[in-house]
Amino acid sequence: MTDLTPEAAGTQPFDLPKDAAHRLEELEHGLFTSDLSVNEFLLVKEAGFHPLGFVMGSSIYHIGIQTRRWGESQELAKLTEAMYTARELAMNRMEEEAQELGADGVVGVRLDVNYYEWGNDSAEFIAFGTAVKAEDGTSYRNALGKPFTSDLSGQDFWTLMQTGHVPQGLVMGTCVFHIAHRKLTQALGSMGQNVELPNFTQALYEARELAMTRMQDEASRLNAGGIVGVRLEEKSHQWGSHTIEFLALGTAVTRGSGEVTLPKPTTIISLDN
Amino acid sequence: MTDVAGPDDPAAVAGTDGDLPEAAVRRLESSAFSSGLTVPDFAACLEIGLEPVALVQGFCVMQWGWYGPGSGFMRGMSPYVAGPQNAGAYSETYRCPHGYVSVEHRMWGQNLEQPWVEDAWAQGYGTAYRRMIEEATDHGAHGVIGVVDRVASVADTGTTEFHFLGTAVTVEGGPPPAGGVPWSTYLAGQRLTKSIEAGFMPVAVVAALASVRIWAYCMTEYLMEGQMGWGMPGGPQLVDQVSKAHMAARQLARKHVRGQLAGDELHGARIDVVGRELSQGDEVIDCTLRGNRVRRFKDFDPVPLPRPTVRLG
Amino acid sequence: MTTGAAAPDLRAELRRGAEALAVAPRPSQARGITSDLSVDEALLLHAAGWEPLDLVCGVAVVSVPVGVWNWGRGAISLASDAHDAAVDQASRALGAECGKVRGHGVVGVRVDVAVRTHHIDVELVGTAVRPMDGKDARGNDAAQAMPFVSDLSARDFTLLLRAGWGPVGLAFGASFVYAPRRTAGTAMKQSTQNVELTNYTEAMYSARESAMEKMQRSALAVGGQGVVEVKVTEGPMSFARHAVGFTAWGTAVRLVAKEHQFVRPEVVLPLDDAVVTFEAESLRGKGR
Repeated sequence: MTDLTPEAAGTQPFDLPKDAAHRLEELEHGLFTSDLSVNEFLLVKEAGFHPLGFVMGSSIYHIGIQTRRWGESQELAKLTEAMYTARELAMNRMEEEAQELGADGVVGVRLDVNYYEWGNDSAEFIAFGTAVKAEDGTSYRNALGKPFTSDLSGQDFWTLMQTGHVPQGLVMGTCVFHIAHRKLTQALGSMGQNVELPNFTQALYEARELAMTRMQDEASRLNAGGIVGVRLEEKSHQWGSHTIEFLALGTAVTRGSGEVTLPKPTTIISLDN
Repeated sequence: MTDVAGPDDPAAVAGTDGDLPEAAVRRLESSAFSSGLTVPDFAACLEIGLEPVALVQGFCVMQWGWYGPGSGFMRGMSPYVAGPQNAGAYSETYRCPHGYVSVEHRMWGQNLEQPWVEDAWAQGYGTAYRRMIEEATDHGAHGVIGVVDRVASVADTGTTEFHFLGTAVTVEGGPPPAGGVPWSTYLAGQRLTKSIEAGFMPVAVVAALASVRIWAYCMTEYLMEGQMGWGMPGGPQLVDQVSKAHMAARQLARKHVRGQLAGDELHGARIDVVGRELSQGDEVIDCTLRGNRVRRFKDFDPVPLPRPTVRLG
Repeated sequence: MTTGAAAPDLRAELRRGAEALAVAPRPSQARGITSDLSVDEALLLHAAGWEPLDLVCGVAVVSVPVGVWNWGRGAISLASDAHDAAVDQASRALGAECGKVRGHGVVGVRVDVAVRTHHIDVELVGTAVRPMDGKDARGNDAAQAMPFVSDLSARDFTLLLRAGWGPVGLAFGASFVYAPRRTAGTAMKQSTQNVELTNYTEAMYSARESAMEKMQRSALAVGGQGVVEVKVTEGPMSFARHAVGFTAWGTAVRLVAKEHQFVRPEVVLPLDDAVVTFEAESLRGKGR
């Protein structure tokens, strides 16, 4: 099994582009930028944080060919590793930018994949977010000493902090799975019947479990108590319909030392759209 | 310049008898009403005391040609001749800085407002609007709400059609408007009631077109085709003629609409701009501004700032 | 929010309005305002003590010399400069129109940028506003201040003001870049590997950072302390697909009160999905 630990992906030396260095320097002089909406900006301030700057990381990755057996359902480990590494590179660069700014964490992280016509079999992986820092000087860095990342919106971040939990990091697990094509006899045999397709079921079940287990492993490495906001995405990218990538994403959290301050909510019955 | 009817302009309404198709007369005579309101809008209007009476529409197709009767050409309007026909219209001239280059070199250019196009548009819009109001008046309505207007051009044939659709309503227990001409508004439902409660009564739907023609001179032609700019001092070159024409079109549309307001306010304004490139930097810019003309009938204290909330779930 | 006994009668309000139209209007010297705000936005603005003045526009067309989009290497600086010049000029034109109606700034600006083969067109449309008492947030008579331009909606503008921040201007930056090329040999070698394409990464990353940096610089130039609602767009040019453009927009803001005012939101838990209303509701609370 390939080593999919974040440390393995992050050991390659990398220099941020010169433009990034200039931009981050400007941000350190007191200007902040953020792609938070006004609502989110105000709520991040309510939570006791101040936005430092818009941070991003990207990596253009070429996904090589991996041979697969037409008739077997299997994980395509090389592709899994490639997708994982590419995203990790983008995330690491974003975290590096956040570290340059002295941030405690990054909120509103978005992971995007872009395809360009001139890059066959290659895709650009981008991670965006807004770096924030606690105003009272407490450090919110995670167990690995790095700024936390989370894909929570400003509203969700505020609500989470009110419940006494603190985000540790965006955790993800990925699995690229090839689904066997059915043999002609099998297909003909079940034509017209209501029947479960066991090899599809088994394959997709296994693939999802792999993705989620890897995500949970990442969370344990951060000594997290739990994961919130788990999303399971399925993409075929450019591989056709029998190869699917399952991506499980979530934010790992731990219980903080602060008391729970979430006030009792007012229940309302909203009478308009 | 424009002859769009308003409730305090009864003279404009006279003389439109017998303009409606026969089918319209038959439909309007039936007692069941139809209405273009959505269910929530319908319910909200009933709550505030507006009774829907009929679905009304107005339609008009205009053609304006360059050389036919009534066209600018026949009326002696020419871009090259200043005269009473285009007095007061916007125009700006540009002269070539190069000196004589060749016969094809455009030594002269002009941005020109086209009042004949604007008049024709206003006539079409006004006629369609008046027909809709006439259908509403026939039903004894006080106003028309939820107006939807559509202006569609068929470029090849040079025709433009104007279509209005709205729901005619009466105000329960209220007096008819001055001159018996119904008021109108694009709004309906909760948005309309909020506007009325805030102290604004709808008067009419107003719109105006401003049409500016760009006759490009040499610099504009070259800049729009990227023929200049390499190594020019001062960096990127602003295409002054085209930028000014666009600004003028929008300013003129506002000016024409303001001329119809007579001191009332315009709310919910919308600007639509269509630019047609003709060739070699020449362009026609048509800018339409539409909105609700409203009149303040009472003072209204500001609503207190609402409390911000965060929803769970 | 309800005042109990003084709940307004909406039907009576409508009748009053109808009566007002039944008489010929008094001749008014007022210069009719035109505004593209919705009713909600106008009411929020009033609640914050500001009023709309007029619809204002700014348009600029800047030429792009021929040959700029052909295959090349690295950044397409002529295109970036043209883009920046167009946005700058359009902002100035917008600010000038705002100044003519004595507005303090423009909110709800709709930004429309069209990049064409030979020219870049920028259109800005918004509503000029001013505080009803004629003074800006610091109590100065703001007629001499530069009008601010912001793409914040009237609602977001009101929220920010309440928190003690004010918009100062539009922050924008753009950069255009040619897609990098690989040699045939490198392409062959990389075709079977899972590998990062470092020169591609470098080019795209740099271009993105460059657009963001220009945005930051323009925010500093108008005296902003921060930028909110940053929107990043990217994509190839429709007429030259090997050229990619990155833009970053936002509103530059500045703390105008002494310190940030916390909004202390109330947490609500709606007990049902949204129900379509069948009642006309008064602005001042439930009432008939």
